[in-house]
Amino acid sequence: MAFMSSTPTNLPSFSSSSKTHFPINTFLSLKPQSRLLFVPVRATENGSGAAIVVDEKKDFETKEDPIGNGAPVAGVVEEVVVFEDPKWVSGTWDLKQFQKDGATDWDAVIDAEVKRRKWLEDNPESSNNDFPVVFDTSIIPWWAWMKRFHLPEAERLNGRAAMVGFFMAYFVDSLTGIGLVDQMGNFFCKTLLFVAVAGVLFIRKNEDIDTLKKLIDETTFYDKQWQATWQDEKK
Amino acid sequence: MAAITHPLHSLTLTFKTPNPRFTPLPKLTISATSTSNRHISDRKLTAAVIGGGPAGSSAAEALASGGIETYLFERSPSGAKPCGGAIPLCMLEEFSIPPDLIDRKVTHMKIISPSNLTVDFGKTLKPHEYISMLRREVLDSYLRSRAESKGVMLVKALVTNLDVPFQPNQPYIVNYTVNNRMEYLPVDVVVGADGANSRVAKAIGAGDYACAIAFQERIKLPDDKMEYYENLAEMYVGNDVSPDLYAWVFPKCDHVAVGTWTMCSKQYIKQYQHGVRSRVYPKIAGGKVIKVEAHPIPEHPRPVRVRGRVALVGDAAGYVAKCTGEGIYFAAKSGRMCGEAIVKASEGGHRMIDESDLKREYLKQWDLQYKTTFRFLDLLQHVFYGSNAAREALVELCGDEYVQRMTFESYLYKKLAKGNSWEDFKMVSNTIGSLIRCKLVGKQMEAFDPNVLAKVARLHKIS
Repeated sequence: MAFMSSTPTNLPSFSSSSKTHFPINTFLSLKPQSRLLFVPVRATENGSGAAIVVDEKKDFETKEDPIGNGAPVAGVVEEVVVFEDPKWVSGTWDLKQFQKDGATDWDAVIDAEVKRRKWLEDNPESSNNDFPVVFDTSIIPWWAWMKRFHLPEAERLNGRAAMVGFFMAYFVDSLTGIGLVDQMGNFFCKTLLFVAVAGVLFIRKNEDIDTLKKLIDETTFYDKQWQATWQDEKK
Repeated sequence: MAAITHPLHSLTLTFKTPNPRFTPLPKLTISATSTSNRHISDRKLTAAVIGGGPAGSSAAEALASGGIETYLFERSPSGAKPCGGAIPLCMLEEFSIPPDLIDRKVTHMKIISPSNLTVDFGKTLKPHEYISMLRREVLDSYLRSRAESKGVMLVKALVTNLDVPFQPNQPYIVNYTVNNRMEYLPVDVVVGADGANSRVAKAIGAGDYACAIAFQERIKLPDDKMEYYENLAEMYVGNDVSPDLYAWVFPKCDHVAVGTWTMCSKQYIKQYQHGVRSRVYPKIAGGKVIKVEAHPIPEHPRPVRVRGRVALVGDAAGYVAKCTGEGIYFAAKSGRMCGEAIVKASEGGHRMIDESDLKREYLKQWDLQYKTTFRFLDLLQHVFYGSNAAREALVELCGDEYVQRMTFESYLYKKLAKGNSWEDFKMVSNTIGSLIRCKLVGKQMEAFDPNVLAKVARLHKIS
């Protein structure tokens, strides 16, 4: 029963009981950055399978080779790197371990989740049916997000808006003699104020101007493709 | 006939003769019996449908039922097309597909995010609702034989070229090879349903479109593992499986199809396939790969979908929805709409038609009915498939029951589901909230110090 495929990769089979048939197969392509290690294992007669002792604290680069006497190579046991953290319990963060001064330290939870997602991005893991991941960002309350991310940014933007506003009010006053209260009554001044606020909100770095232009192009691109067939008419 | 004004442009109802802008071809004089005057007295309108998939068969069936002499060209009637094979509920009713063709009824779907957050989609499905999985060869041959029973003449041949006539009142010549013989057939109307690499589209200069490439492996699983996929399909998102779209595990008749597709990184498709296999590994270990297949999938409509008396339908026209990649239903529906449009414009085959008829009866109706759907799916794709952070937000949102219900209803019935405005508002604000949160986490991830990550892993033996 050969494992046939027109691509070079084959699915290795692994077994938990030796009563099932073990075909011999070869594993060919191994990407350099993939951390799957394939270790040939001798299956004993009574089916106890491979016994590879894995030290929990060991770094993931170890390779072990317990082949003894010349029994036929029967199956492969895969060693896969998995995300493990004492605070990550059965698919979610154990909030009780994040206590600080009697309340949950949400910043630490956010940091832990960032670490986990970054780890998984570099080392994608297969989903586990026994401990499905159930943690999502909505578990962290909205005010924790506000406090950590929105408020500092809001402070920065308001500061900018205040500086620009003060200087513009002074500048217009010095040019025209109209005080701040009277400036607000003028339509042109109100427009300038609106532009200043919008500018501060949407354009925070120089790159944002390009980003906004690209965004507008992207949103209308698909529509243009649909309309293309009607362009003939206009000609 | 009332003039239907499309909101984006108005078209006055005139029968104008089409501009002679056909490409020059070797001279082929066939004396056509019809003149540019509309009525044809001594024969019926003849039509050739190139391509015998769902689009072609539906078009041919509609044409023949309307009284038009139809020829359906299919080069390999027994071929099995590489395809996801999922069709929505509305297709079963609209196209009268007998239930015994269905291999499997998928009632659960799992969507798995890059951080392995898993949501169960399908909690809101009613007992009579499911996604039907079929084998394409079974569906296609059923539709073809039904078309044949309505009077379509099936021609098992490879169409090599379509000669576009010089004069507006001359027929189109379909050149084909059958039994190693070159033959030709003059027809009045051509429907191009020959898929992503359409020859008809090339012949009329319809322009090119960007294609995604889909790669799939069919894997026969051991029975206990197959039980898990009894009526469950899985969808994986993440940069490791597809940088701009998704990867899937779909159950078929007695095996599963594991595949992925991408538009922007076609050269790395094998790498992404490897990524899917790793992600699904424990669930497919012990399986045997029985087939490997790949196919281009159009990303957007061709610049020209109707020219002269030639109309494109299905994949040839580019009617594949973004975000989901769904094409079978749209192919069949567009085929049928095109066929019905030709029947209507020619009044049952008694009048000659022209380009403006096709545009008015078929293209405009199609755009009116489905453009919003396609545009909405394009928006979803832009918002949610752009980065890992956005994908996390997508999966988070899909956990909500209202979102699930709306999604399934829109997908199964192809109609914008009626929701209530308060729930809609909640959904929109949850969307914004999830996107903001996940983008924040994403930004933090980018700024993360990689040295801290080195100590977190442990080796885990899978047995």
